[in-house]
Amino acid sequence: MSVPNYRVAGRRLARIDGVGKVTGKHVYAADFKLPGMLYGKVLRSSRAHALIKKVDTSRAASIPGVRGIITSADIPAVRYGQAVRDTTVFALDRVLFTGHAIAAVAATSLEAAERALAAIEVEYEDLPGLFDPEAALDSNVRIHPDWESYKALPIIARHGNISGRSRIRVGDVEATFAEAYRIYEHRFTTALVHPGYTEPRVATADWDASGNVTVWCNTQLPFDTQNTLAEILDLPAARVRVSVPGIGGGFGGKLRIGVEHFAALLARKTARPVKVMSTSEEELTSALPRQASVVLLKTAVDKDGHLLARSGKIIVDCGACAGSGPGTAAISLQVMAGPYRTGALELEGIAVYTNKVPSGSFRAPAGPMANFAMECQMDMIAKDLGLDPLEIRLRNIVRDGDAGPSGEIHKSVSIEECLRKAADAIGWHDRNPEPGRGKGIACSWWMTTGGSSGVYVKINPDGTATLVSGAVEIGTGAITGAAQILAEELSLDLTDINVTGVDTQVAPFDYGAQGSRTTFSVGNACLAAAADLRRQMFELAAKQLDAPVDGMVLRDKHVVAGSKSISIAELARISRLAGGGLIAHGTAISPAPPYDPTRTENHPLPAWNSPSYHAHAVDLSVDQATGKVTINRYVVAQDVGFAINPTYIEGQIEGGVAQGIGQALSEEIAYQDGRVMNANLTDYKMPTAMDVPDIESIIVECRSAAGPYGAKGVGEPPCIQPPAAIGNAIAAATGCWPRSLPMTAEKISAALRAERT
Amino acid sequence: MSFDLHRPATVTEAIDLAQRLSPTARYIAGGTDTIIQINRKKIDPAHLIDVTCLPGMSGITETADGFGLGALTNYRAIETHPAFRGGLRALIEAASVVGGRQVRNIATIAGNIVNASPAADFVPALLALDAVLDIAGPAGRRAVALRDFIVGPGKTDLAPAEIVTGVRFARLPANSATAFLKEGRRRAMEISVVCVAACLTLDADGSRCTSVRLAIGAAGPKALRPQKAEAYLIGQTAAQSTFAAAGQLAAEACAPISDVRASADYRRRLVAIVVERALTTCLERIAEERR
Amino acid sequence: MTRKILNIIVNGESHQVPIELHWTLLQVLRNEIGMMGTKENCLEAECGVCTVLLDGRAVNSCILLAGQVEGRSITTIEGIGNPEHLHPLQETFIECGAVQCGYCIPGMILTAKSFLDENPGCRPTRDEIREALAGTLCRCTGYRKIVDAVAAAVERMSISGQHQ
Repeated sequence: MSVPNYRVAGRRLARIDGVGKVTGKHVYAADFKLPGMLYGKVLRSSRAHALIKKVDTSRAASIPGVRGIITSADIPAVRYGQAVRDTTVFALDRVLFTGHAIAAVAATSLEAAERALAAIEVEYEDLPGLFDPEAALDSNVRIHPDWESYKALPIIARHGNISGRSRIRVGDVEATFAEAYRIYEHRFTTALVHPGYTEPRVATADWDASGNVTVWCNTQLPFDTQNTLAEILDLPAARVRVSVPGIGGGFGGKLRIGVEHFAALLARKTARPVKVMSTSEEELTSALPRQASVVLLKTAVDKDGHLLARSGKIIVDCGACAGSGPGTAAISLQVMAGPYRTGALELEGIAVYTNKVPSGSFRAPAGPMANFAMECQMDMIAKDLGLDPLEIRLRNIVRDGDAGPSGEIHKSVSIEECLRKAADAIGWHDRNPEPGRGKGIACSWWMTTGGSSGVYVKINPDGTATLVSGAVEIGTGAITGAAQILAEELSLDLTDINVTGVDTQVAPFDYGAQGSRTTFSVGNACLAAAADLRRQMFELAAKQLDAPVDGMVLRDKHVVAGSKSISIAELARISRLAGGGLIAHGTAISPAPPYDPTRTENHPLPAWNSPSYHAHAVDLSVDQATGKVTINRYVVAQDVGFAINPTYIEGQIEGGVAQGIGQALSEEIAYQDGRVMNANLTDYKMPTAMDVPDIESIIVECRSAAGPYGAKGVGEPPCIQPPAAIGNAIAAATGCWPRSLPMTAEKISAALRAERT
Repeated sequence: MSFDLHRPATVTEAIDLAQRLSPTARYIAGGTDTIIQINRKKIDPAHLIDVTCLPGMSGITETADGFGLGALTNYRAIETHPAFRGGLRALIEAASVVGGRQVRNIATIAGNIVNASPAADFVPALLALDAVLDIAGPAGRRAVALRDFIVGPGKTDLAPAEIVTGVRFARLPANSATAFLKEGRRRAMEISVVCVAACLTLDADGSRCTSVRLAIGAAGPKALRPQKAEAYLIGQTAAQSTFAAAGQLAAEACAPISDVRASADYRRRLVAIVVERALTTCLERIAEERR
Repeated sequence: MTRKILNIIVNGESHQVPIELHWTLLQVLRNEIGMMGTKENCLEAECGVCTVLLDGRAVNSCILLAGQVEGRSITTIEGIGNPEHLHPLQETFIECGAVQCGYCIPGMILTAKSFLDENPGCRPTRDEIREALAGTLCRCTGYRKIVDAVAAAVERMSISGQHQ
């Protein structure tokens, strides 16, 4: 594959916000403050499911320092939400989960606000709680008794406690099962896990004299937050301004409204700026974690291990509000199909309400859950048929031109290359069984989320360029990547690109820093803007140099026409005086690929844009007595299309795998009777520096048609395969097949003992 | 949280203050337990008495008989102390797993002991060395064995206004070694699921056990010395089989609970495994020393 | 609540700050002295983003009472370098790609500095670096490039022959 000679794109350049971050000068939303600001805190339910008989704030109101208290009685009864509009700011007549917001207080100090919370009296009448999603499916108890009156996206199929149901059906699964050589049926469960960002959700809100509100916060989706706030505040969106000074990690946990609405409502009530910050306990009880799930998988094969048919059902526990449950349940179907040719498919994803925390879109929603089930079963099948786990995968993987589960056509397929490279790197063919040591492999595919992006770019008279984008840099380096693309196109250096902060009042729309889309989409918008700027510069240069536009090139920060040239800086100066300046906008949208709608039912994301392919391989040891797992080596081969900046791509792989290791081995928000038992970082166990080995990244480049320079989305895939790869390696090491996440030492040691008896 | 902070200059002043301000006054040293408990609303003292500047409570001293650790000794000082690298290595091993380095730079051994968490890591290490605490209080000074000092989760023998000033333990006899092992759900920043400290002394041949001290943490309401397991090993050959048997006896002596970290059953099994491993490590260390 | 004047040296400068006695060092640094580089998160000494140096040694400022460090010397991230003169650790963290969202980075750099300053001239292994950093959590990077950066800083500091 020939590699173009890029000066900037593709190079390991330092990120543009690095100096600010290492010197402590970078301002995060948590650092933002305004003079005269009050501190807001939220009163949250101590019951999982109960009617609210009474809320008495009178004692709280008289506590010194308290300036305002609000409850559901003080605000319009607005319901919001992405798939299903079932969420309210405060609980209305009933609380639906422990941690449900009931009231909010603003005071002159945090201590006064806390004292006020303690003085608010709430009278509850308990209702039976539904904590198990399978029980909730069958129960007559309705968590949302008025569910029928809720608005929802037309594509979403809901009923009772089901907040969304999607299906994919291809061919005749029953007939194929009847004639299969072997059928395998397994059940898997995965746990609730928190995105674990180190900066809590925080927002500061201030109203101006004209009744407009500005909210400085750490959302990943400023325009979505703007819209939701506008609904809640009953304002036109243009009167709501969302600005993101900086964000300390998101991972999909900061997509939707967190505390912005409390800040805005309290600021309106008190006519003062108000800052609300989540505590660690609130993060672990009332944030937007990854759903727990149950996956039932039944797969038929022929004697050579070819996948003939698969029927699968995933039950996604979306908690007390739908959140991204319906979308997650739907996306899981493509993950369950995997990057494999499968004759017949009957896949169903169901999102169910329970009286637990509403869930969100933590990195690769549905990915780790469905992939864990699917790839562990692959290994069980391989073992039963006496096949090498790598070999069975190679026999089934898709090739270019194959149809995917929804009838979309797989293109730029690199799954074989990823599998072989990961396997080679881990030493797959040297799997000498040493007691307690094993190697495992797992693969997947994943989308690059579409959605639109706009950018403005202007050239400054010093020859630098300013990039205005509505996309938040959440840490991945995606904005640096987009800036590298812009610099490449304009023959500038990365250090010549200034990126402004994100402000909905100023920036063009961006669909948001989510779904591995930022470099892809903002990069494409930059390509469009750069093309327009080139045209402007060439036209201006033609006049200045008296040379034809044909044959002009940009090189070394100059427009060059044969032996004549003029600097970009000079053109910018001239244009400013004579014509308003060199300014352009660029937009980008990735149309969804064609697919076969007869295969899908109520699926909000049926065809994936520019999918990527990836394989993970792990070598680990298991202490046969205690069940403790030690990861010796971990290798990832990931197709990124084109590596805009290999350093930050490796960063995404290394960080995503670390999160995956946490989900695989130790992380779980543990509920008991509707209460979180480990709502603190002492007992919510994320990996420390001693728990993660040096992850080895192999970057594969199989260009996409639609991405900038052929790039594909990078951020989410690395956290999909770790549970399956690690589960398969544990099985290889111990002979025991894990079926539930997290795969703790205790569970493994119990399985080992059961195996021995 | 809201309280007054007092900074007495001497132990006498501190005790005096504690008496006057009782019952809502507490001593505070590094604060790594106290401040967290206040934040989590488990305690609500109106007064905190800072003991970090009190004289005569710092430093590690070595005498002919043994070692003295000032109450204010922090874990970083212990884990870097050269004299503990040999037979007393369990002290370093236990100290080095208390929180992260930031915690170890300010958390004090006395603060940790008085906090009396059943899962404290350093307590078993001291218990296996038969440590004695020196205490000062309104009624004067006294000494109490650590094994009698902690009476239950969060409960000690301290009378109101009493303060621990130091910890001491005797030198190890010849042919001895110690080891400390911890099991948890991750490799650092972990509250023990089970931890074990072992102190083994062998006879002159290096084959039979003449003294065995085991201490088990996080497997009962307080750290435990399993007497049957210890007694069983006296006179036995130091070997995997006898160590395993001792592990079983230790496991039977424990009273672990099930919580969000682990089940009681798994803890009990771990006790058996870890006791055996700790003793094996002691044996290896004694053998190495003899070479 | 009675306020007391706290005397404290932050990054070499003396400060006299009226404080309430229950305030932590973190609160004083961020709210009273304006050192926003020290971050807040768990407030329970579990995550390390609040790490500062107390007389050169890494501590969690979120649980240290300001009143307990009367007269002592505190170093925050602002005190070890600035955009014109970065500390070697600040340079290598950028160069090695160890910075993603950056929220843990001030605490991580100071945790690393405390470790390196304890043993000047020594070359720690990667495992020793990991152990020293274990008290500061990073959710973005998976730690590999952070370890790379600390190892690279060791080389750079030994080449320049100085320990800052």
